[in-house]
Amino acid sequence: MKRILATAITLAIGCAALASNAHASPLPAGWTCTPALCGAPQGKPIVEQLLPPPEVPAPITRHYPAKVIVNLEAREVVGTLADGVKYDFYTFNGTVPGPMIRVRVGDTVEIRLKNAHSDHMPHNIDLHAVMGTGGGAANSIVIPGHEGAFEFKALHAGFFVYHCAMAPAAVHIANGMYGAIMVEPADGLPKVDKEFYVMQGEFYTQGAYMQPGLQSLDMTKLLDEQPTYVVFNGRVGSLTGEHALHAKEGQTVRFFFANGGPNLTSSFHMIGGIWNTVWPWGGSNEDHNVQTISVPPGGAVIADMKLVVPGTFMLVDHAAVRMFNKGALGQLVVSGPEQPTLYRALWNRPFAPAGAMPAAASSAH
Amino acid sequence: MRSMIVLLCGTLLGACTLVAAAASAPSSLPATSIYRIPPLTLMNQNGQTFTFASLAGKPRLLGMFYASCQMACPVEIETLKQVEHQVVKAGGQPIPVLLVTFDPAHDDLAALKKAAAQHHVSAPEFQLSRALSGDIGMLGGVLGVSWRPLPGGGFQHNVVVALLDRAGRIIATDPANGRADPAFVAAIVREERAAH
Amino acid sequence: MLRALMGLLLLAALMPRPAPADAAAPRFVTVPGGQLVSSLLDGTRTVTVQMAPFAMLEEPVTEAQFAAFLRAHPEWQRGHIAVLFAGPNYLASWLTPTDPGDAQAARRPVTDVSWFAARAYCDSLQAELPSWYQWEYAAAASSSNRDARANMARRNAILAALMHVTGQRPGLIGQRPANVYGLRDLNRLIWEWVSDYGAMFPDVNGDVGSAGSGSVLRLCGGAALAFRDPSDYALAERVAALSMLAPADSSPFVGFRCVRKPGDSP
Repeated sequence: MKRILATAITLAIGCAALASNAHASPLPAGWTCTPALCGAPQGKPIVEQLLPPPEVPAPITRHYPAKVIVNLEAREVVGTLADGVKYDFYTFNGTVPGPMIRVRVGDTVEIRLKNAHSDHMPHNIDLHAVMGTGGGAANSIVIPGHEGAFEFKALHAGFFVYHCAMAPAAVHIANGMYGAIMVEPADGLPKVDKEFYVMQGEFYTQGAYMQPGLQSLDMTKLLDEQPTYVVFNGRVGSLTGEHALHAKEGQTVRFFFANGGPNLTSSFHMIGGIWNTVWPWGGSNEDHNVQTISVPPGGAVIADMKLVVPGTFMLVDHAAVRMFNKGALGQLVVSGPEQPTLYRALWNRPFAPAGAMPAAASSAH
Repeated sequence: MRSMIVLLCGTLLGACTLVAAAASAPSSLPATSIYRIPPLTLMNQNGQTFTFASLAGKPRLLGMFYASCQMACPVEIETLKQVEHQVVKAGGQPIPVLLVTFDPAHDDLAALKKAAAQHHVSAPEFQLSRALSGDIGMLGGVLGVSWRPLPGGGFQHNVVVALLDRAGRIIATDPANGRADPAFVAAIVREERAAH
Repeated sequence: MLRALMGLLLLAALMPRPAPADAAAPRFVTVPGGQLVSSLLDGTRTVTVQMAPFAMLEEPVTEAQFAAFLRAHPEWQRGHIAVLFAGPNYLASWLTPTDPGDAQAARRPVTDVSWFAARAYCDSLQAELPSWYQWEYAAAASSSNRDARANMARRNAILAALMHVTGQRPGLIGQRPANVYGLRDLNRLIWEWVSDYGAMFPDVNGDVGSAGSGSVLRLCGGAALAFRDPSDYALAERVAALSMLAPADSSPFVGFRCVRKPGDSP
């Protein structure tokens, strides 16, 4: 009896400790709005400089909340899904993913969304960085030839997905209509040498993988969640060969990696590397020495790696069929002198058999 | 002039709207005047016939309804009565109300009379009306009222009541959903004063 | 009806109307009555509708037919039309207010017309825009089946046809076989105005929003609540495209056709 009581007390104390731990789990300073951080916007409104992926807008150096204007345009375009394969994409600003947006916690962000005259569908935008119904979707629906705008305060720092949420949203996302927004903490992220923006997404085509010509969305494959393509930045080969990413030995690179989906969780991995620092889920917690990170559809991660040896590093979804057979492959080419103390080849040679191999059973006859 | 139109309508329904259009939709109406919809001939709960465009000239409230409606339309009418009350309390005049049914197949004169009696409203201040000719869809379109008959009877619909200035421009709208919105009441009083 | 007839007679008497050689007379075909299980829910309930027979235009209204209407009804011409009834995109691509400037005008569906103008056109034929149920019932049919909606290959083909025209004008009428009723081009060529498109969905609070408000479709994931079969993406795209339009809006991909009671003379 006494023992049971003691156990109960221990458990109770343990639980209390856990609970208080959960509450006390330290939120790093500057990742969430406080009155001091997030007052009225100061200075002139800033028009966000938007760049095509994999380019990343420059880190924010200002130390005050501003008004930031983001000009987006929904565009339905015929683009390249793979060499010789065309697809009717739905895009933000003509690229898959749409441009990365970068603001500071506490900023007041005005999202202006145009819908190109030549488009068929109404479109809108749901930013996961927004606290508000539909993430802005309900207030940003625009029919072709119209434009709309809404404003939100970036209350929480983090790396967030945005996407079109127009019904049927699965179709709009499956057609490539997503992007990402970095809301920087007040003091920014640690400085790195190079930053890249990569988004994963699946495509469901009526033709088989690499079947040439203009391909359309296959509804059956989409409903069965069986994509034909799983790619980075909207096409097979967006980050390989002449489009490979480049860095130098000794540099630290940062990937802003997000997953548009619509359906598959990515197992984000760099072949030949260990992520020194990651911000899993794109949130404020840091983790270190990570091999592979789960990035769900509508989720993101920030991942830093210090490059200590030269070579070609492969960026993959480690779900192997996707990298080998569906296109989820990118390359980071690191130049610099070999570092044999860190990594070197030793030998590759024949060795003597331990004994004669047993003869194969001849049961076939 | 109006009596002539009414007379014409009574005797030659087909042609009346054209005549009425020529007579009562002068080109002086602003481009956004709701009275510019194609000719619409209406009949109110007293059996009086008039053209929609002939209502230009003073501010009024305009909405749509149907008589067998169980919820939204009774609330709409009662809300408008409250609005009238508040307008008078705020120093304004009772503003004429016109509601047009989007169920003309069922809302005949008897149905309009019955609905008016149930809600204690009377023409010409508060008219419940049905179209005798013309396209009420056009009216719904410019007013922002949509409806769809449901297979089980009744309609899926919304409620919009518009405050029109005397030229027929929409000055303000209200969902007339049970509460006399002070802002809507104030807009009516303002509009009445401007019209004087 | 009488009014419209009289109106036509009067107008015909008032103004000389050069009949364009290339505008084929609109032809109605009769669609027999029957039962429709609608793709739209009533709240969360499936709706089965007993459809009365109706007559529907065999094809979408063509540019040439609409041009003829505009010559007879100048108040609906670009430049004359009241701003209540049309926005700046109304027939904006036409060469002149009455000339589409299209060599294929007799076979191209008219688009870029507002819901108001579509209504007025149908009225001129003593007809009206179809209800959503009428359109849905007619469009459910394939060339061999009165309700082919469950056919996944057909759905895929419809969606593909709509997506393949990215950035292009709609194609020409009559490239595909008619359906079992003799109607053409209901699914793959354009989207079509329907009379009650503004009230297709109840709003979250049970009311319907104004036309163009999109109502439940505004919500992310709202489509999951709106359709009996949310996996019919081609239909969902059509409904979404229509329900976001205000009645004065026009779109290069939205045209229309008319219906009237069966048996009315052609």
